[in-house]
Amino acid sequence: MMPTWPAAAPPPGGPAPSTAHATTYSAPAYTPVQVRQSFGQPYAVPQPSYPVTHAYGPAPPAMPSATNPASNPNPPPSAAQEQQNTKIDWPDSVRRYVQRAFMPANLDSTVTRAEMEAKLKETITHAKESGVMYTLDWDSVPLPQQMIRNERQRALFSHPSKPETPAPAEGPTAKKRKSWDVNDTAPADSSSTTPPWRTGAGRLQDRVSFANDRRQIPDEPLKPSSKFSRADKRQKRNEGEYKTYREDTPPPSAGPVVGTCQDLEKRYLRLTSAPKPSQVRPPHVLRQTLELLKKRWKKDQNYAYICDQFKSMRQDLTVQRVRDDFTVEVYEIHARIALEKGDLGEYNQCQTQLKALYKLGLKGKPNEFKAYRILYYIHTANRTELNNALADLTAAEKKDKAIKHALDVRSALALGNYHRFFQLYNDTPNMGAYLMDMFVGRERLHALCNICKAYKQDVPLRFVTEELYFESDVEAAQFILDHGGQDLLEDRNGSIMFLTAKAGNRFEGPRAKAFSRVDIKGQI
Amino acid sequence: MTFDSAFFNGFSYAWSSRDGYRLAQTLSPEVSTEELKATYNSTNSHDIKISVRRGLQGNAALVGGIDQDGIKGWVEVYASYWNATGALVAARESDTDNGGESSQLVWTKVFEVWTDVLNQLLRGYQNYGFEAWTIPCLYVVCRNLRAFAIKADDERNRSSVEDITTNNLQDDFDPDSSKNQKLEECARTLSRVFMICQTDRAPIEESRKWGSYYIANLLLKTYFKLNSASLSKNILNSLRASGKDMPDFSAFPKSQRVTFKYHEGVLAFLEENYVQAETCLTEAWNLCHKDALRNKERILTYLIPCHLINNHTLPTKRLLEPYPRLQQLFLPLCQCIKRGELHKFDLALQEGEDEFVKRRIYLTLERGRDIALRNLLRKVFIARGFEEAKPGENPVRRTRVPVAEFAAAISLGSEEKIDNDEVECLLANMIYKGHMKGYISRQHGMVVLSKSGAFPGTGV
Repeated sequence: MMPTWPAAAPPPGGPAPSTAHATTYSAPAYTPVQVRQSFGQPYAVPQPSYPVTHAYGPAPPAMPSATNPASNPNPPPSAAQEQQNTKIDWPDSVRRYVQRAFMPANLDSTVTRAEMEAKLKETITHAKESGVMYTLDWDSVPLPQQMIRNERQRALFSHPSKPETPAPAEGPTAKKRKSWDVNDTAPADSSSTTPPWRTGAGRLQDRVSFANDRRQIPDEPLKPSSKFSRADKRQKRNEGEYKTYREDTPPPSAGPVVGTCQDLEKRYLRLTSAPKPSQVRPPHVLRQTLELLKKRWKKDQNYAYICDQFKSMRQDLTVQRVRDDFTVEVYEIHARIALEKGDLGEYNQCQTQLKALYKLGLKGKPNEFKAYRILYYIHTANRTELNNALADLTAAEKKDKAIKHALDVRSALALGNYHRFFQLYNDTPNMGAYLMDMFVGRERLHALCNICKAYKQDVPLRFVTEELYFESDVEAAQFILDHGGQDLLEDRNGSIMFLTAKAGNRFEGPRAKAFSRVDIKGQI
Repeated sequence: MTFDSAFFNGFSYAWSSRDGYRLAQTLSPEVSTEELKATYNSTNSHDIKISVRRGLQGNAALVGGIDQDGIKGWVEVYASYWNATGALVAARESDTDNGGESSQLVWTKVFEVWTDVLNQLLRGYQNYGFEAWTIPCLYVVCRNLRAFAIKADDERNRSSVEDITTNNLQDDFDPDSSKNQKLEECARTLSRVFMICQTDRAPIEESRKWGSYYIANLLLKTYFKLNSASLSKNILNSLRASGKDMPDFSAFPKSQRVTFKYHEGVLAFLEENYVQAETCLTEAWNLCHKDALRNKERILTYLIPCHLINNHTLPTKRLLEPYPRLQQLFLPLCQCIKRGELHKFDLALQEGEDEFVKRRIYLTLERGRDIALRNLLRKVFIARGFEEAKPGENPVRRTRVPVAEFAAAISLGSEEKIDNDEVECLLANMIYKGHMKGYISRQHGMVVLSKSGAFPGTGV
């Protein structure tokens, strides 16, 4: 394979061959994307030299013509050009260097093939032109991918507008953004999630240069780099190479926007640039908006409209950094409406903000929303958070009606006391019932399993209706029928009996299913 | 420690004997303030690199296997260490002079310069080919980074210096998020160190993978402190995923294994996987040094509830004897469970609620109520005595018990009337969970218990 390499290798000649080369490779069918090995992997540790990674790709190419024969429709001209160029006999050292560059262990997936090839060409051409091709110690010349990385890094550090982020900010392990990550996520995110093909100006240059790479002959001669004996083996990584700049982040010193918009209604649009004051409503306008929306909600009950309006209102508050009692009110009302309509995504967003707002000591109904939170954790069976919520409660809060109710619900369920649970369900303060509705079905199945196992021969259907708090016998019967109990109901002397003994384990399956599936959009 | 011939001798001794722990001592900040001061005063920022480089090169002959790159790396490490000693001396003196009241965040400074020590060290592993036997240096530096982070957070929270950079500019804000700012930063750094250990592909004998568990333990400990135990999953998954590439777990030092198994057990515990939790915690318990009372206490805190749930067993007095705190925590509850005193159990649970919640065992202990209830019902069953025995046959217990009798027993302690439907519900639970064998006959208001083993595992 190797001997053919110089033929396909960047011919060192004038501009013509280089364009020929460029057309050959300028339009890759895909852009290689760095494969994310795992979420837990901080990005500061790039490309651990997985020797096996290439199992999923084409075999480690020794040279492009082998892997890309189809896209190279014109190899003969290239060869011809080479002859034209006084037939270079490539020294072995150069061949070894090229070979080394494409060794799988040395490949760096942040550096595209095209870039590497361009760099290789550039390096070799430069060496040839300055007449050191035969004298240069090619074994110690840095690999093209390494030079590219160094260049990127230099570009990065020389860029004045980008403050250098401290190294520890890299490599968050959390896959989801946590509130406590908030301080550092921006730079970390941009370095970790920005795909390699759009990582700012430095990269752009690289990419542009490879199309007409003649232009970019390195200003400084290649520095003889130090030996990377062991370090090389371990894939030298330069710190900071994954830092990228973000484009035009508005300067934070500008302070919050002060809105001037006087419209009451505004459609929600996710901001993609700095907010314009003319499109942001100041708080006194928002107050009127809220009144209007309350009326509209009562009248029309159009959730799509209301949700949209509330989102834009929240956005206006956020961009103006308004955090006062009014903000709390907006979030509370939106949370309640979302709850009523079962929009848990929006509900959770509101709850998260409310939690923080209450911590600032703003007025509102913290107990009501704490109770919702507990009920919600019961629904999602989030024990860790439930424990945290318990730990956060003060003695006074535990006596609050809504919170006490939520705690009782929790304890009733923990002890399997469905009798008590359904009594509590019957008597839920505020809007907690909307939350309880979400898990009352599975608790009914659980209770039904209990009853079927514990009661022998049969029980009146009325008993089930009352214990599990169905609206009517019909509803209870329907519930049983829905879960495969067609033959378990029997009319006996005018009263309907539920044949528990016959039921056996029949409801275990539906029960297990109901408990296994708690997967919610926007789950906290 | 000063950068004199004694230091270089020590360095080359550690090097020639490949004694990582000895080498690590040269990077420890856990020495007296006087010593730190001596270190700091022994040189200056201009000379430090030159003198260390000269010293190391002079000893390079003695030091087998250190090359120019290695020397370069270590020079940087010691230079940053020297720099850190200055900040550390200042912080310690500020603590003693002002009793911790300082207008400046001295420990934040220490944290920052110490982060630099760690970064230099990591650079050594990544770029200068530091060998795996020097990993204990990483231990010492990481361990102290965590300690400094905690001190820095503590100091900042006590001081009135407003950190305006953190909160005000964010859309999603959390007033608490800045409370552990440095420790969170530390956690991120540690997870980077962890990955640097984990992803080393060198042959196992000289791999940084040997550092994985030590760093993982530090990281888990930090996540627990940050109340984000859920992040620990990433660590466990990573260790599990690289399982076959790792040295065998038993080859790691015992101390690391105990800590790791403890954390793994507690994580399983928090996920209600009590069987796995028991396995891990038991392993930790068996590996634990016999005199490490504090560690054993921690293990027992979770192992006891595991046993309660899995095997319905309670700790003996003898087991708890050396641990007054655990006695206080568990004994009242255990007594109530044993005697079947339901109401007292509720009271005891309420009494200890804050402590239990803090240790995250409340929700688990609450389930002990089932066992207390079973013991109470069992008493009712026994109290009913035997059927009139026919001559020549063994006496048989009366297995038909009116629901009302159970109801009476349940309301005995609290003296609150409990309605029969709720009692039936509790009984149904007992039967469903297998604590009791038999069935309820609703028509007759009667419980019919099994003639053979009505209460499995209790001898009746």
